[in-house]
Amino acid sequence: MKKLLMFLAVFLMAGILAACGSDSEEASGDTNDGEEEASVDLNRIRVLIGSTSTGGDTYQIADATSRHTEEALGTNMKVDAVGALRAFDELRKADDDGSTIMFFHDMAYLGVEYGTFGEEDALENWTIGPVVATNPGNAFLTKGDAPYNTMAESAEWLAENPDETITVAIESGGVSEVVFNGYYLWVEEEYGTEVSDRIRAYVTGSQQDKNQALWDGNADIIHGSIGANNEYTQNGVEDNIKMKFLGITADERVEGFDIPTFAEQGITVNGNEFVFNKEFFFLMPENVDQNFATSLDNAIAEVAENPDYAEDLKTNTYVVNHMPAAEAEEYLLEKRENFRYIIENAPNLDEIAQ
Amino acid sequence: MPIFEILTPMSVLLCFFGVFMGIIMGAIPGMTATMAIAIFLPLTYALDMIDSIGLLIGLYVGGISGGLVPAILLNIPGTPSSLCTTFDGYPMTQKGEAEKALKVGITASIIGGFFSLTVLYFFAPMLSSVAINFSAVEKFLIIVFALTVIASISKGSLLGGIFSGLLGMFISLIGTFTDNNQMRLVPPGFEDELVYGFALLPVLIGLFAIGQLLQEAEEGMKAAPHQRIDLQKGKDKNNKFSFKIFKNQKVNVIRSSLLGTFIGVLPGVGGSAASITAYSQTKNFSKNPEKLGTGEPEGVIASEASNNGLIGGALVPLLSLGIPGDSTTAILIGAFLLQGIQVGPLFITSNPDLWNGIVFALIIANIVMFILMFFSIKYFAKIVFIPKYVIFPIIVVACVVGSYAINNGVMFDVWTLLLFGLLGYIFPKIGVQIPSFLIGFILGAEAEKYFIDSLKGSGGDLSIFFTNGPIAIVLWVLILGSVIYAIMDSRKAKKADVY
Repeated sequence: MKKLLMFLAVFLMAGILAACGSDSEEASGDTNDGEEEASVDLNRIRVLIGSTSTGGDTYQIADATSRHTEEALGTNMKVDAVGALRAFDELRKADDDGSTIMFFHDMAYLGVEYGTFGEEDALENWTIGPVVATNPGNAFLTKGDAPYNTMAESAEWLAENPDETITVAIESGGVSEVVFNGYYLWVEEEYGTEVSDRIRAYVTGSQQDKNQALWDGNADIIHGSIGANNEYTQNGVEDNIKMKFLGITADERVEGFDIPTFAEQGITVNGNEFVFNKEFFFLMPENVDQNFATSLDNAIAEVAENPDYAEDLKTNTYVVNHMPAAEAEEYLLEKRENFRYIIENAPNLDEIAQ
Repeated sequence: MPIFEILTPMSVLLCFFGVFMGIIMGAIPGMTATMAIAIFLPLTYALDMIDSIGLLIGLYVGGISGGLVPAILLNIPGTPSSLCTTFDGYPMTQKGEAEKALKVGITASIIGGFFSLTVLYFFAPMLSSVAINFSAVEKFLIIVFALTVIASISKGSLLGGIFSGLLGMFISLIGTFTDNNQMRLVPPGFEDELVYGFALLPVLIGLFAIGQLLQEAEEGMKAAPHQRIDLQKGKDKNNKFSFKIFKNQKVNVIRSSLLGTFIGVLPGVGGSAASITAYSQTKNFSKNPEKLGTGEPEGVIASEASNNGLIGGALVPLLSLGIPGDSTTAILIGAFLLQGIQVGPLFITSNPDLWNGIVFALIIANIVMFILMFFSIKYFAKIVFIPKYVIFPIIVVACVVGSYAINNGVMFDVWTLLLFGLLGYIFPKIGVQIPSFLIGFILGAEAEKYFIDSLKGSGGDLSIFFTNGPIAIVLWVLILGSVIYAIMDSRKAKKADVY
């Protein structure tokens, strides 16, 4: 009898938990009729980000943007660092009232192009919100005593030393892969496959893993950023961990840093200067309440004008880069198209990975 | 430099509050120091950096220390790093020595905390240089060294223990392989749920808490012998705590603190490896190794001194290299960056006030932790007197809420809890050893990562594990010594059983 009761209790508990699970997905904040003026009456907006780190640029920019936007929207916004796959998954299941939205960068569509995310996560399946900021410090670095000072010089060095190879630490399926591919294709175009065949990829995860790969001697060049790596390039840093920047992929130099852009170094792909600005934007469920989307768009426009917001971003060398949702959609779809050439012609990572 | 020139009264108060909240969160199964810091992180936006540090360090120390309470009283590790505390802590509770076990754990915690703090203060820059020399090869060997504990704690069957450990490692590999973002070992139909594999805490709590609960339910919820002992009167001298216990444990406490601190220093190697390694080595060096696991203060000291030792250790790479030593310091790095402070090789020289603030906050947090826990522990210990039919439903609710909250509300984590709860009930019946399984599960993914990173660096040449330099050779000697000892110990135990 006791055993029967115990099993009944377990089944009852399982049933209650199942019910809790289904409820949690359907729970929503207050919705807006859409007829009123652009405002939201949600108590709380959950901002999913495509990173699990609270120390990276995605979290930092999402945090600053949310803090300023919640004021403009008259609600609370909470940044949730759940990672890309889960963020997409939860956005797909989210209510259309705007209570759950996503904040991410170019990896949102690059990941689909590289096959890291499925086609169901393509830009066409979401409502694209405004672009808000850029991290202009997207960079490559090497050891302080490396025999080259720029990415262009690294290719020259490789051409002059036929017995040498260069290994570049990147993360697959995202920004670091596309900029690595840009460099690889340029070397192939400029110096031929004899040289580009000696470029290897060291596929790894976080920035910490890339740094460690450089220090261990497993990689010669790593993908990084001004925000994350600048400390290691300063005078006074011990030789065994010292790094130097080889170039940034943004269209302009970052104020206060003597780091040449890829374009300045003459790096081109398919006849065009290689420029990659890492941009951050919102994604919302496909059928999101239009009133919410408009309110968010207006609020972001207001925030972008706020000097305090610009100052917050500047703390970590990020810059305001506002583009309203309507323009953002066209812009991001075009940007994706432009980088398709690189992705389609990129070397297969399985073949060149160390 | 006087403490109060750096720390404000507000930061001391916040530190106190942080320790208090941290202990509570660490004591709730499923809540961790990492989660405590993540929850309070937004609160720090409105605070000065020094005040934020007081709060965050308090939460860190309190969160790690609080884990010993459910580990000792209920056989449920509050945090992964208190797993080894259950090995001797709970048997002590079963012998009616709950209060003594708790006080031993708390005292070992403060010793470990201060040891690592001293190391952090005097050797941070030097240790970071050493840590950098530990490449993926050495980190893999350290994990293998930690895994040798499976051999030493395998009860009755060495082969059974190794099988359990390998099973745990196998289960830990379920999910996405990050190098190529491909899913592996995921049964069809579970791709969405298992994209990241099983979360550690629901597995840990399920196996220990729910599994044990089902087992006790089967036996009829009778009061355990320790529930009938009146600790308050303390008539039995053996049940009383005395600092004299530490008289013969000097080597153990120093070795465990040192191991905890050192493994904490290695960037990326998780804190759980610290207490697991310390426990293993305590058993190997113990005069009475056969008694470990049956309720010896020696085991509690090893586990708790090392897991608090790792706090100072994990801060070394964070503050002197800018890379987090464990998941909790990864959240701390976010707190620094949000305030525009770059942690890295120049942090200590560029931010002397902040550096001293961190050290002072650690001193205060450890003292507050000790006072709060040592003098109120008898109230915590009363948990063991609560009838099982009252405490068990509370534990189930705490476990479910904790599991649901781990990843901000994922229902699958609750199902994981229940699934592994069921396995925790079945495993002992079919000979799978739960502690070995869990150690394999905790360390499996780390072992794989460093193994693959090593091979990537060597172009697939396995000899790299033997030729990478003197550190690797020393680690191999330690691994072999540990395994040989465990095998001999197991044979001795079998012979003793025969006679």
